[in-house]
Amino acid sequence: MIFTPTPLSAAEDALRHEVRDWLDGTLPADFRPGLGLGGRHDPDFSRALATRGWVGMSIPRQYGGAGASTVQRFLVVEELLAAGAPIAAHWIAERQTAPALLRFGTEEQRRWFLPRIAAGECFFSLGMSEPDAGSDLAAVRTTATRVDGGWEVSGTKVWTTNAHLNHFFVVLCRTSASENRHGGLSQLVVDLSSPGVTVSPIPLIDGELHVNEVVLDRVHVPDDRVLGEIGQGWAQVTAELAHERSGPDRYLSVLGLLRNYLAEHGKDLDDAAATAFGRIAARLWSIRQLSLAVARSLDEGEAPATEAALVKDVGTIFEQQTVETVREIAACEIDPGGSMFQQLLAECVLNAPSWTLRGGTTEVLRGIAAKALTGGGAR
Amino acid sequence: MSDTTELRDAVADVLRGRCSPAVLEDAERDGGAPTVWAALADGGFTTVSVPEPAGGSGGSVAQACAVLEAVGAAAAPVPVAETGLLAGRLLARAGLGLPDGPLSTAPSPGLVLDDGVLVGSVDRVPWGRSAASALVVDGGTVVLVEPGTGVVTPGRNLAGEPRDHVDLTGVRPAAVAPVDPIAVDELARRGALSRAALIAGAARAVLELTLRYTGDREQFGRPVARFPAVAAHLVQIAEQTELAAMAVGAAAAGAGDEGEPDPLAVAAAASVAADVAGAVATAAHQATGAMGMTREFGLGVLTRRLWSWRDEWGGGRSWAAELGHALAAGGADTFWPTISRGLVR
Repeated sequence: MIFTPTPLSAAEDALRHEVRDWLDGTLPADFRPGLGLGGRHDPDFSRALATRGWVGMSIPRQYGGAGASTVQRFLVVEELLAAGAPIAAHWIAERQTAPALLRFGTEEQRRWFLPRIAAGECFFSLGMSEPDAGSDLAAVRTTATRVDGGWEVSGTKVWTTNAHLNHFFVVLCRTSASENRHGGLSQLVVDLSSPGVTVSPIPLIDGELHVNEVVLDRVHVPDDRVLGEIGQGWAQVTAELAHERSGPDRYLSVLGLLRNYLAEHGKDLDDAAATAFGRIAARLWSIRQLSLAVARSLDEGEAPATEAALVKDVGTIFEQQTVETVREIAACEIDPGGSMFQQLLAECVLNAPSWTLRGGTTEVLRGIAAKALTGGGAR
Repeated sequence: MSDTTELRDAVADVLRGRCSPAVLEDAERDGGAPTVWAALADGGFTTVSVPEPAGGSGGSVAQACAVLEAVGAAAAPVPVAETGLLAGRLLARAGLGLPDGPLSTAPSPGLVLDDGVLVGSVDRVPWGRSAASALVVDGGTVVLVEPGTGVVTPGRNLAGEPRDHVDLTGVRPAAVAPVDPIAVDELARRGALSRAALIAGAARAVLELTLRYTGDREQFGRPVARFPAVAAHLVQIAEQTELAAMAVGAAAAGAGDEGEPDPLAVAAAASVAADVAGAVATAAHQATGAMGMTREFGLGVLTRRLWSWRDEWGGGRSWAAELGHALAAGGADTFWPTISRGLVR
């Protein structure tokens, strides 16, 4: 395990305060925070953030990014998530697509996409899940067939967050039949405004309409939009998932709830409520240090996949337990139209089940972590 | 941080083979393990974090906690926490030198000094029967009493470690010195941190033991670790262990080379460790089945300590309350800055 307490340098600490101060001055006083990575989709905010160099931070300078370290990006992202800032527009492009393009993209793709991502002008969704391929991504049935100058893609993707607002998504699809179910998969960058793309909302439990079904009907994708190598989709997508885990998005969904609990109830906490709140805070304190340690080890060239899975598991369970505990100590009937705290509590209760699903379910993650811990299952 | 890792490994090396089941059974019966103590004392590991001029080995709070993690992992039945991080530092703070041999201390709110003579008793003193005790009286004076003074009523914790009632009425201390009243709070915090460090160490030992057992034990034709329900316990033990170790490590590192740990960081570590102790014990016993419940299997000596240490020096509940009240008093706007302030070089 790579978990060691991680001191920040003075420069790193200063960066954190710079972001915090900027957010204080930028977000309106009556701002309703989003639930961590569930922050709202606001292209203006993303562009404003980009002018500070805080979008696509880890993109190298030659591609328009800040060439920042993983820890520097961690600190900026953490402040954004803690504030519940409206980061949804650039979130996937910056967290996931940019690193994938850097690793697997052609020089031409990097030169075209990365500066746009870093400028907060080019937004991506994920094109992995399908109706019959959730945790088991190798079961994808979306198929691309070879045509003159590119590929023709047909199939159905689901849980595609903000596909109705974003520009592109990276589609995992079959480009050939393979005896090995991890073979024959490829990733294509699909323009969501292409002919043949139909985006329809999947209303969620809270009535929100930001998640979609995307039907691809013979959508043409030119050769220069193939990401990485044809047939290497499985290896690529597995590498990509490491960026999806262990970050601050896995424990900060409840930060706005906790802050507003203090704002509305903090003046008269009895011992029982203070104890319950203290336990939550203590756990958050420690989980944050674990996540920061993962970021630091990435900068030091390690690949802490097991640690990342552990942090995501412990972080998301923490988030769910926090909602239940806060609900208990607030001791009220939840009013979705009530105070800021009430609104956030309502949103948290309705959304909490998704926290241990997105980015790999608890069960799948524990399977991965257990394999690593036990050296493959048997010793 | 590598110096702490090396120190932890060095202490683990010293303890390897020395805390055998027989030694631990004897210690429970006799209230001590002289050979274990001698090995640690010879290496200078019992007074880490006590300044050298006072008779200690020097070193930081973080290094003392590294020693305690190894002590906890080995279930070593000796008052290392008390001798160094707790009583040793308290005596040094009061300008008193360390006597030879094991030391102890405990909260002593009922103890007073009347014309040079102690009045009152102290409850649940670790190894009170055999260690010299450094105690605070009247909130501003440190007294040192020699081993076996007063009327000792033997007691123990769930792990069979001595936790004695010591009536000191009529005892004249071997040494007396004034101390800054803040030393009382600092001692309580170091007490809580010492238990968190011991818990972190024991939890890691539980993890290793449970991984080994579930990897070897076969049922239905394969190692039980391969069953997802059992694997989930293993993952949770690992997560909880890392949580506790990180909480301790961060709080201890925050003390720097010579200072005291941050009060809120200690409160967080104590709260996390107490929760971890319970969660790890539950999951490990479930994963190891009936074997884990036996006296012959090594799990019990660890889980009985986890169940004891989590309640000592205030226990997780009181430290969580302290943290919760402090955060509430700080207000909503300082909540996140406090949680995230971490360590800055």
